[in-house]
Amino acid sequence: MASDRAQSDDYRGPLRRLLLGVLVICLIGLFLVWRIDSPRVERFRAQVVDRVVPPMDWAMAPVTGAVNILRDFQSYQRMYHKNQELRRELQQMKAWKEAALQLEQENARLLDLNNVQLDPRLTYVTGVVMADSGSPFRQSVLLNVGGRDGIMEGWAAMDGLGLVGRISGLGRNTARVILLTDTSSRVPVTIQPSGQRALVIGDNSPAPLLDFIENAEQVRPGDRVLSSGDGGVFPAGLAVGRVVADRGGRMRVRIAADYERLEFLRVLRSYDHERIEEPGSLIAPDSATPGPQAAAEAGNG
Amino acid sequence: MAERGALHLWLMQALFAGLAGALVFARLLPLDTAPPGWAGPNLFLALAFAWAVRRPEYVPPLLVAGLALLMDLLFQRPPGLWAALTVIGCEALRRRAPALRDRTFLADWAAVAGTLVAMTLGYRLVLGLLLVDQPSLGLSLMQLLSTLIAYPLVAALSHFIFGVRKRAPGDFSPARSLP
Repeated sequence: MASDRAQSDDYRGPLRRLLLGVLVICLIGLFLVWRIDSPRVERFRAQVVDRVVPPMDWAMAPVTGAVNILRDFQSYQRMYHKNQELRRELQQMKAWKEAALQLEQENARLLDLNNVQLDPRLTYVTGVVMADSGSPFRQSVLLNVGGRDGIMEGWAAMDGLGLVGRISGLGRNTARVILLTDTSSRVPVTIQPSGQRALVIGDNSPAPLLDFIENAEQVRPGDRVLSSGDGGVFPAGLAVGRVVADRGGRMRVRIAADYERLEFLRVLRSYDHERIEEPGSLIAPDSATPGPQAAAEAGNG
Repeated sequence: MAERGALHLWLMQALFAGLAGALVFARLLPLDTAPPGWAGPNLFLALAFAWAVRRPEYVPPLLVAGLALLMDLLFQRPPGLWAALTVIGCEALRRRAPALRDRTFLADWAAVAGTLVAMTLGYRLVLGLLLVDQPSLGLSLMQLLSTLIAYPLVAALSHFIFGVRKRAPGDFSPARSLP
């Protein structure tokens, strides 16, 4: 048999090797194209995901559901303690609810007095999480809403509690949300009550890093972190989480959203606001010079 | 007999593709969206290597390349690079398969470990040279180690359940005897 193998390799070998070489070169070529022109290949990736994942959804949804039911079943064992805990929390919540109602009324009165217009276009589309990134190195989830539903790249995604991430990678039926914990995630935030600006930088750990703080001494663990709207990516004022200090003394954010179980996400519609880019022309418009020039050009043309 | 051999070959290739699809399916389930502190084994790689050492004809390069590229795209890796390395790794093991046929499982494991380490190093080197964001070294090493630990299990499963065994000396090879 060995001689048989050797004979067949005589004429098969070079051809095989050539085909293999072409295959490897094609793959490496794709990688280089991705490195040079990443958006185009990422669009291709989004289209592939859009084709591949939705047909699997009919099987994925029941399996995910079954596993979650099993997990819930395990938590029944601790039911008594949970119940006690929930009762205590409910007591606290009632007090908070009173306070919130009073504040809401006060806020409504003040808004009315000042005649404030809230942005009426800040509405949302709700999507269901279909799949996660499938890799321990990347943190993202795939939603079952996409370009078809008017989703656009860069919009913010929240669960009921706080900011979850940002749309990056859009197919017709699916949209990928890069979570705040992903290593490529950077979100500008404000820290309340001190009003310091900072960046929330994902580093593949459950609590992302808080960096580029203007004045770190004014930031205390427990402060609230809100999105600041700098850079025009996110609307301002979305809850991100609270500041915690890790063992090394660095500031991190404990995320408000429930990352253990992301099921339904709201994608906030945020449209570009008008930008004011020329400060001078607003105050002193020099309409005398461009007018005649434009007329002359139009005449020449 | 020859027809049965060809059919068997096709079936085993389809089984390989099916197993890879099941692995993708399991990985994509959105069960745990919090970042894990550990990295599980790359079972597809273990499976491809185990089969490439035992029955290279069940894992043709085109099939491996297609599946690996699909995984690159689905799992948000830089597309193409890891797939190319997987194809090269499988081919290297395929070359060594006749020599490994008579050796013990330990030799087999060592060959796979060497290939895997070389692939991981090459991957990180190329990503570093092209200034691409890399996953952390700790997680990469953890994945490498867990893949190596998972390899004997995958090999045993292939051996006992899917019947992917090394060719014995007197074994009749139907696929090769086609004119």
